[in-house]
Amino acid sequence: MRIAMPHMGNLYIPFKALFQRLDIDFVVPPLNNQRTLSLGVRYSPEGMCIPFKLTLGNLIEAAELGADTLIMPGGSGICRLGYYARIQEQILHDLGYNVEMVQVGVSQRKLVGILALVKRLSNNAPWLKIISAFRFGLSKLNALDRVEQAVQKMRPVEQTGGAANQLYGQAVAAIDQADDDAALRKAEAEYIGRLHRLDKKASVRPLVVGVIGEFYVVLEPFSNLDVEVELGKLGVEVRRTTFISGWTRFSLFLNPLGVNEKDRLHKAARPYLKRDVGGEGWESVGEKVLHAGHYDGLIHLAPFTCMPEIVAQNIMSRTREDIPVLTILCDEQITKTGMLTRLEAFVDLLGRRRRAKQLVGAGCE
Amino acid sequence: MEAYLGIDVGSVTTKLAVLDKGSEVIAHLYMRTQGNPVATVQRGLEQVRAELPAGVEICGVATTGSARYLAGVIVGADLVKNEITCHAVGALSYVPEVQTIIEIGGQDSKIIIIKDGVVTDFGMNTVCAAGTGSFLDHQAERLNMGIEDFSRRALESRTPVRIAGRCTVFAESDMIHKQQMGHRIEDILYGLCQALVRNYLNNVGLGKEVRPPVAFQGGVAFNRAIVKAFQEELHTEIVIPPRHEVMGAIGAALLVRDEVSISGRASGFKGFGISGIKYHTSSFECKACPNVCEIAQLSHEKKVLARWGGRCDLWERNQGN
Repeated sequence: MRIAMPHMGNLYIPFKALFQRLDIDFVVPPLNNQRTLSLGVRYSPEGMCIPFKLTLGNLIEAAELGADTLIMPGGSGICRLGYYARIQEQILHDLGYNVEMVQVGVSQRKLVGILALVKRLSNNAPWLKIISAFRFGLSKLNALDRVEQAVQKMRPVEQTGGAANQLYGQAVAAIDQADDDAALRKAEAEYIGRLHRLDKKASVRPLVVGVIGEFYVVLEPFSNLDVEVELGKLGVEVRRTTFISGWTRFSLFLNPLGVNEKDRLHKAARPYLKRDVGGEGWESVGEKVLHAGHYDGLIHLAPFTCMPEIVAQNIMSRTREDIPVLTILCDEQITKTGMLTRLEAFVDLLGRRRRAKQLVGAGCE
Repeated sequence: MEAYLGIDVGSVTTKLAVLDKGSEVIAHLYMRTQGNPVATVQRGLEQVRAELPAGVEICGVATTGSARYLAGVIVGADLVKNEITCHAVGALSYVPEVQTIIEIGGQDSKIIIIKDGVVTDFGMNTVCAAGTGSFLDHQAERLNMGIEDFSRRALESRTPVRIAGRCTVFAESDMIHKQQMGHRIEDILYGLCQALVRNYLNNVGLGKEVRPPVAFQGGVAFNRAIVKAFQEELHTEIVIPPRHEVMGAIGAALLVRDEVSISGRASGFKGFGISGIKYHTSSFECKACPNVCEIAQLSHEKKVLARWGGRCDLWERNQGN
């Protein structure tokens, strides 16, 4: 049995650590690239969203590497994603791949289900071993997120363009290679230290932009054309509520002190939206309300044809909280030139807005 | 005399404007890009030089439009700016109290919302080019009339026909269908104008509040029938600023003037003489990873001046090697 799963950012690293510790044959398909996308687009129904197309591409590339058991999120109550595993399984069978699709619930309290699945895949390994492997995977996940937060801070203020990104790439590789807790801690500390020691531009107070929207396109840089890196180049600091590790905080058993971030967002959204509309629609509205006073602007990422985010987009344009929002619809037609023009104009707008506010503030004194 | 040059290289047309220190336009030019931005910019510089009075010194150059980076390298731009900011700055210099800017060019259209002289929101057409200049050109050509006759005939319409404007392909087949049914050409043309205005407000405007004064600029603002359709749909007066077709270039020139006056730096302008230089553009596929990006490069006498087009900045970092 050879296991694989689709990509979403660096998610493969913690899963690789987990499966390796349990001696499960886990294969990582090539990171998202043009071929992945072309395969996905070719074999997907036209109206599907970019997460469907890219993950299908990953699964095909995994099957080409001999994977026969594919893990895909699924289950009811989210959005169309609930059906993706079944449709993709059908497509893979039609293409002649003899694979078994394993659906994993992605809703907030399903971590126990993942544990049970791992138990089965590991040929009934002892629980103690499973828990220890799980903890190691989670440590990698958390280390990755902390390094990413450090690089988000450094991109806009670094003296030499691209230096922070280069270090980040090395850090991800080092975390991937770490094979015990000590090595992992060392890699994280080393790279966070090196990131913070990069030469900084003298006295800049960068614009702060929050990246919000649908989970997959926010977390998979290939699908959003590296929007965070591009914002960094324009001198903008990116903040993000959505991190993969946020997912795991819901489990009381693994993280007893975890707070439910989502509850906070839902509460904030309540004056405008009182219920789940699928995907991250409810959270997007909440993020706008919560961040209006603190950030200069928001980039709202949504897959083209994503119903929950379209609902959120239309509600967001009418809230009392005043903060500029730029919605970017991600699909295979999006071009970098088009996106950069919008980003540049948006950053100009935010800069002028901040200056105008400062002038008004100075006038009152 | 100190002067500032703005160059707007769009997909269909290229615009140049030279402004003096007091924002007065000394010379301007509107020409077709014809798929060759490098040669067009060179030709444009040549023509503008001929129009300029003696003793004009270019103290700053800015480029904008979809080929702004390419044009920026060729002329040695002091500032490379996106077209949304440039259009807003240009419009504000002619209509200081403007609150909404409608800009429709060759292949894209924008809406810019302004409050107290600051851009607060903007929108651009995303997946559809219905209603832009190229489509109108194409329809005029299909009906065997000049684009000038298009608007004159459309204004003669008394009972406009309803045309589906959601998509250029459907709009065209709908127009043909109405022609075959025997509707008057004037009514079809004005019906098309109305459909394009509706499409613009739905797709580009996307629920944004259009507050007066409204400025309409870009090449399509020449079309009086479209202007009339906007006026009827928005129930408000539409201002068409003088030289609206080169407004992006004017905005770019204004921005570089302010930039130079703050920084005090000497301009990197390579001079009008560059029209004689032979530039070479080419492209290749990068094989460094499976993305196989198409990298475009601009070179002069085997020396690479600039590269673009990768997903990562591998080639941008290696510029000049």
